[in-house]
Amino acid sequence: MSFLTLASLTKAYGSFVAVDGISLAIERGEFVSFLGPSGCGKTTTLQMIAGLTPPTAGTVVLGGRDITQDAPNKRGLGVVFQSYALFPHMTVAENVSFGLEMRKIARAERDRQVADTLSLVRLSEMADRYPRQLSGGQRQRVAVARALVIKPPVLLLDEPLSNLDAKLREEMQFELRRIQQSVGTTTIMVTHDQAEALSISDRVVVMEKGRITQVDAPYRLYEQPATPFISDFVGKMTRLHGIRRAGGVEVAGRLLPAGGDAGEGGAVDLLLRPEKIEFAAAGQGMVDGRVVSRFFFGSYWLFAIETAAGLATVSLPNQDEDVPREGENVALRWAPASARVVSPEGAEP
Amino acid sequence: MSVTARSSPWLLAGPGTVLFTAFVILPLALTLVISFQHFEPNAATGSGFTFTNFVSILTDEYFLGIFWRTLKLSLLTTLACALIGVPEAYILSRMRDPWRSVFLLVIIGPLLVSVVVRAFGWSILLGSSGLVVQLGEMLGLGFGRLLYTETAIVIALVHVMLPFMVIPVWTALQRLDPSVEAASLTLGASALTTLRRVVLPQVSLGMLSGSLLVFGLSTSAFAIPGLLGGRRLKMVATLVYDQFLQELNWPLGAALAITLLVFNLAIMLAFNRFVEARARKVLG
Repeated sequence: MSFLTLASLTKAYGSFVAVDGISLAIERGEFVSFLGPSGCGKTTTLQMIAGLTPPTAGTVVLGGRDITQDAPNKRGLGVVFQSYALFPHMTVAENVSFGLEMRKIARAERDRQVADTLSLVRLSEMADRYPRQLSGGQRQRVAVARALVIKPPVLLLDEPLSNLDAKLREEMQFELRRIQQSVGTTTIMVTHDQAEALSISDRVVVMEKGRITQVDAPYRLYEQPATPFISDFVGKMTRLHGIRRAGGVEVAGRLLPAGGDAGEGGAVDLLLRPEKIEFAAAGQGMVDGRVVSRFFFGSYWLFAIETAAGLATVSLPNQDEDVPREGENVALRWAPASARVVSPEGAEP
Repeated sequence: MSVTARSSPWLLAGPGTVLFTAFVILPLALTLVISFQHFEPNAATGSGFTFTNFVSILTDEYFLGIFWRTLKLSLLTTLACALIGVPEAYILSRMRDPWRSVFLLVIIGPLLVSVVVRAFGWSILLGSSGLVVQLGEMLGLGFGRLLYTETAIVIALVHVMLPFMVIPVWTALQRLDPSVEAASLTLGASALTTLRRVVLPQVSLGMLSGSLLVFGLSTSAFAIPGLLGGRRLKMVATLVYDQFLQELNWPLGAALAITLLVFNLAIMLAFNRFVEARARKVLG
């Protein structure tokens, strides 16, 4: 029996089904992310776990007990809201202390636990400030502290980083992971940012239109996306349409090598991650092309290459400045095993 | 160009300033002047300079009694409006759209009807053969006489003033982040505790402005005490009217009006400073 089990959880608003019978088992101490575009039902799922939205059907079982019908204030789960939802009229310490007060914990013990939690999120000096006097990142940590101080069996994070700027978001990813690992609380995070989901989760649950389409560890999700939607949503991907041949895929009259040995003759897509493609000396590549545009991202370069087979995206780690320029002719090469062959986009997998 | 730029603030503020001066500052100044004059039975306005009017207001039991009643009834009205209006605004803010607009209209609607008409309506309802008294007798609750009592004045004042409490509180509630209430629930607070510890403190500024509006309008209310208090139960505004138009004692009437203004200002400023200082510190 898993720690937290969702069974056929469904939420319908009239004829619109926001969450369509999802089932999932989450183990104790796991960090699970729900990833999907807006409107895919991930936040609704989180709210059903928190008890803030009553499900139309299905159950939520926590530690062997069915909590589907419990009110949110009886579940004892920690929730961090997208807006942080701090109490603006209370100081940081009062915000964090609120959940303990509701549990009728004595003053001295309460103060001790608040101090401990604030030091966990590195906000001890801010205890007497009001939320409006804090920066976005600090508010976010107050929200995490407030949710964690009640020692919840499960911590629910609703788009916790979406209101932060890019630099801070990256810092807070590390911070969230550090906090989660030091307390060991089972954590469920909802996000639409694939980089965020991949970087801090143990497992990623991808949702599309109210259904779960893949549940996997971040590495497997990236390497073996189950649907065309996931392969485009998670990371960048070059997709070339062709016909399956022995040893590869025939695209626009040339054979591009790829792994696997599925039957010949069918229409397929050849998928290549940008970092799996490398430049080769002229004539040595699998396909020739021309650099259309080039972008510098600091740690890597990104190229758009026009080839006879279609447009390809190639990335190159930043080692030196000696990289192809726009308009230059290049040849592309990859390890056949790193190219995946899937049913063409739009068709059922 | 620079001339236009320099004069445009004056041009823009001009019409308002003229209007304000002509209809507020000037009459107030005249009232202030008259309040320090001797009463002359044969002339419309008085003459000379004296403090007698103010001395008699502050020493005469009759005047003090009316000031005390005005203060008491206005405070009661404010309290009743807060007790009814705040929950009303909360319920209103929780409603979904077709109903919310309908009920908002129901609350604001009475403002479209003249206060004299509404006061007259209440005098019919509360009269000895009126609906309220008859209903009370049918249910075995002897209300006794209602019309021309302080109860009648408070009932009608609450009815008239309620929108002035509901609207500021409702506006404050609109600004509330709905997930703050959800956060309180997930931390283990009951719905009632959430209301008391999380929602109410955040709408305290709305309650403050609502209370100030209701209190200020109640102390200067004229039509309602006039129609529902009868000849005997006077409030300051009706007293001022009597002095001006029946006793023709303009100096005393003016002194009463000035006293009410000062007394109102003092209470409102003190109340404002007390609550606002607390709320501003927290809400910024």
